[in-house]
Amino acid sequence: MELFVLFGTFAVLLLIGTPVAFCLGVSSFATIAYLGLPPVVVFQRLNSGISVFALMAIPFFIYAGELMVRGDIARRLVALAGSVVGHLRGGLGQVNIAASVLFGGISGSAAADASAIGGLMIPQMEERGYGKDYAVNITVVSSIIALMLPPSHNLIIYSISAGGKISIADLFTAGILPGLILAMSLMVAAWLVAKKRGYATEPFPGGRAMLALLINATPGLILVAIIFGGVRSGIFTASESSCIAVVYAIGVTIVVYRSLSWSDFVAATMGAVRTASMVLLVIGSAAAFGWLLAYLRVPATLVEMMKGVSENPIIILLLLNVLLLFLGTFMDMSPLIVITTPIFLPVAMAYGVDPVHFGIILILNLGIGLCTPPVGAVLFVGCAVGRIGVGEVFRTIWPFYGAAVATLMLVTYIPALSLWLPALFR
Amino acid sequence: AAACETTFRSSDTHPEGYPTVTAVEYMGELLEERSDGRLCIEVFHSAQLGEEKDTIEQTQLGVIDMNRVSLGPFNNIIEETKVFSLPYIFRSTDHMHNVVDGEIGDAILAEFENHGLVGLAYYDGGSRSFYNSQKPITSKDDIEGLKFRVMQSDVFVDMVDALGGNATPMPYGEVYSSIQTGVIDGAENNWPSFESSGHYEVAGYYTLDQHLIVPEVLVMSKAAYDKLSAEDQALVRQAAKDSVPVMREQWEAREAASEEKVRAAGVEIVEDIDKTPFIEAMVPVYEKHVTSEKLKSLVEQIQAVD
Amino acid sequence: MKDKIRTLSSAIRVLTTVALWLSATGLVLMTAFIAWQVYGRFVLNDTPTWTETSSVLLMGWFILLGAAVGIREGNHLSFDVLLFVLPDRVKRVFYTVSDIVVIAFALGMVVYGIQLASNAWSTTIPNLGFSGGIVFLALICGGILMVLFSVERILRRMVGLPTARFGEDPVEED
Ligand code: NA
Ligand code: NA
Repeated sequence: MELFVLFGTFAVLLLIGTPVAFCLGVSSFATIAYLGLPPVVVFQRLNSGISVFALMAIPFFIYAGELMVRGDIARRLVALAGSVVGHLRGGLGQVNIAASVLFGGISGSAAADASAIGGLMIPQMEERGYGKDYAVNITVVSSIIALMLPPSHNLIIYSISAGGKISIADLFTAGILPGLILAMSLMVAAWLVAKKRGYATEPFPGGRAMLALLINATPGLILVAIIFGGVRSGIFTASESSCIAVVYAIGVTIVVYRSLSWSDFVAATMGAVRTASMVLLVIGSAAAFGWLLAYLRVPATLVEMMKGVSENPIIILLLLNVLLLFLGTFMDMSPLIVITTPIFLPVAMAYGVDPVHFGIILILNLGIGLCTPPVGAVLFVGCAVGRIGVGEVFRTIWPFYGAAVATLMLVTYIPALSLWLPALFR
Repeated sequence: AAACETTFRSSDTHPEGYPTVTAVEYMGELLEERSDGRLCIEVFHSAQLGEEKDTIEQTQLGVIDMNRVSLGPFNNIIEETKVFSLPYIFRSTDHMHNVVDGEIGDAILAEFENHGLVGLAYYDGGSRSFYNSQKPITSKDDIEGLKFRVMQSDVFVDMVDALGGNATPMPYGEVYSSIQTGVIDGAENNWPSFESSGHYEVAGYYTLDQHLIVPEVLVMSKAAYDKLSAEDQALVRQAAKDSVPVMREQWEAREAASEEKVRAAGVEIVEDIDKTPFIEAMVPVYEKHVTSEKLKSLVEQIQAVD
Repeated sequence: MKDKIRTLSSAIRVLTTVALWLSATGLVLMTAFIAWQVYGRFVLNDTPTWTETSSVLLMGWFILLGAAVGIREGNHLSFDVLLFVLPDRVKRVFYTVSDIVVIAFALGMVVYGIQLASNAWSTTIPNLGFSGGIVFLALICGGILMVLFSVERILRRMVGLPTARFGEDPVEED
């Protein structure tokens, strides 16, 4: 019954369009009241949920992303990507994906990737005769790459949700190969669709032009080196690296490129505050929701149920993937990480899955959820940037979903893809 | 536990199988048996219900019924508990046992009742010592300039600073990789945590200076306690007391197992260290933190116990 | 009526701007604090012990103020699939129900925030020296702003003025 109140209130509020953070908060509130417990707990959990040091990486990486978009770093990365892969079949589509790899190496937000790269690429692609749906499809799905490549604040949320004992540095390293595999399978999908539709390619600009573009984009690329090098050499911790990214972005855009005016700086800061506080309020409310799940013993019950279904880890992982994909289509990423990690991680670990490996599965899985209706923040961003209806995009996006799901299966069943690199670095 | 009339929800931040968790589970078995299955305990381990600061509040509010917590978070709430968190206040684990099992221990447990809690028992929390990745610390001078991660606590920061180190507050989850990459040189903890966190893999030197031998407490919500009949209250108290020897036994076993694993991994252990310079360095720390007459007298009383 | 609410809106817009600037200042200060923490530890070998706790404190402030602003500007994520297919009249009813739900929760933030703050008032934050109660002030202030902004939304909708929602253009001032 308590669970009915919790999930029932949540579902009803969600359906009538109440903001997700408040759906989580009010359904927890209602359940606590139903149980006859002091409601103050809900607000204590909300407050504790947002008072976590490692969470700071989220506003910082969002902030760094805003600065880099407004300070011209993102555009230079796109230009570089264009010179490298523009001559492949699907030309600008391939450029879009490669740009996501470059941008993903400095940003951990899929929404930032979709709006930054999408904002630059979609108009260009349209102009050169690519279908708008094709441009948006690629923009949306390839932005998952930003979640997989370091830095990824969602992996930090995962580490916190798992009790803060999983090494963030390991998680960051673990995402690299799966992220690159995702990029490659998307490139194949982009190639196939482009071939079918008969899209043109870009001319190869030649080595000299490439070098010029590389030099032009170097300050943006150096950030990758700084973050990685700084963490590996002990100058700062993985979560502090987010702050260094901000400091560096400010430095480069103001001093090196002189591309960031005072009003750009204010706009970037305000933009970061708006996005980050929305995301973090959801995390705080999800902490209250998660407390109730634990109090009502949902994770333990679920583990028992799963064990009743099968003893085979392959089946269990498949089941977890399907469940996560299902949940991911209805809910957004950060609350789902916070809610599902304490439930699913023990299940996965009971079947011998490494927590680092599971983190990568979880992020990739929920990342796909970001691109699928009904609740797909990245899909919405992509459609908004491209000014195209969700329905139209949804009709032709399937090859790219297919590439992402194929990557998910590879990552799920070949643990080495996630675990080999961290072991190498350790 | 379907037959239980009342099931107490008890919180613990340690994982399943940890001595504190099994001790409370054992207490639950005793209670169920002695109450003919009426009273049971369900342990929510691994911080499922929140970190200690939060679960203390939840226990005070009567949201959860029991809580196994370290004394540190209470220092802010119950002044008397501060004495147990002073560096080098206990000479040895036996000394600590003698204090908490005696009058001083009872008096401090009784203080919890003024804060919506009933203090049921003291559990062992082991003794905390320094470890680092740089060199064996054989004297106080070796600490000079080393960066040690400490918990967010004024006493701890002041202690490390007084020893000449660089106190660095940092979330626990970041310590492993921070020692590995050299962001910090080391940290401090007891054998089981040194081992289970894997920190011994990256910090090869452990010096048993035992600066902190702080007990932990098992508390009950006063709201839940007051609902019980006098007989049931006695049952709860007795079951808690009876879980203590079991807890201590398991703690020792756990400590020994961790020590064996750490030693087998080749960590260099400095055992016989002259603690006098360390204790002498604590004079300003005591001056700063032992301010009231009540605390001063408690410190003297503890020092007078064998 | 409409004019009165327009006047109210322009007053509230000032409040939003103030909250947003405070929030943004919080983020910039946080950046400075953590950068100083890295500098102090790595270069000076003397780690500032106040940076971690104070940044977490600032983060609470900027989240709750920023989230309140998000109510007014319609930044919060919601699930609009059902709303998509409903007629405008029903939609507006649901929007108002949502706003009332937000008000209820925000009132909870204020009332229980006060309770939490008074409980924690006598404690001190380690390495900072402030009272632990100030942690919850952000919850209270954010709650008050959320109530105000939601009431404004309901009033504006009643008289037919636009209100912002996630995914739409930021229609606000008319
Ligand atoms: Na990334
Ligand atoms: Na992209």
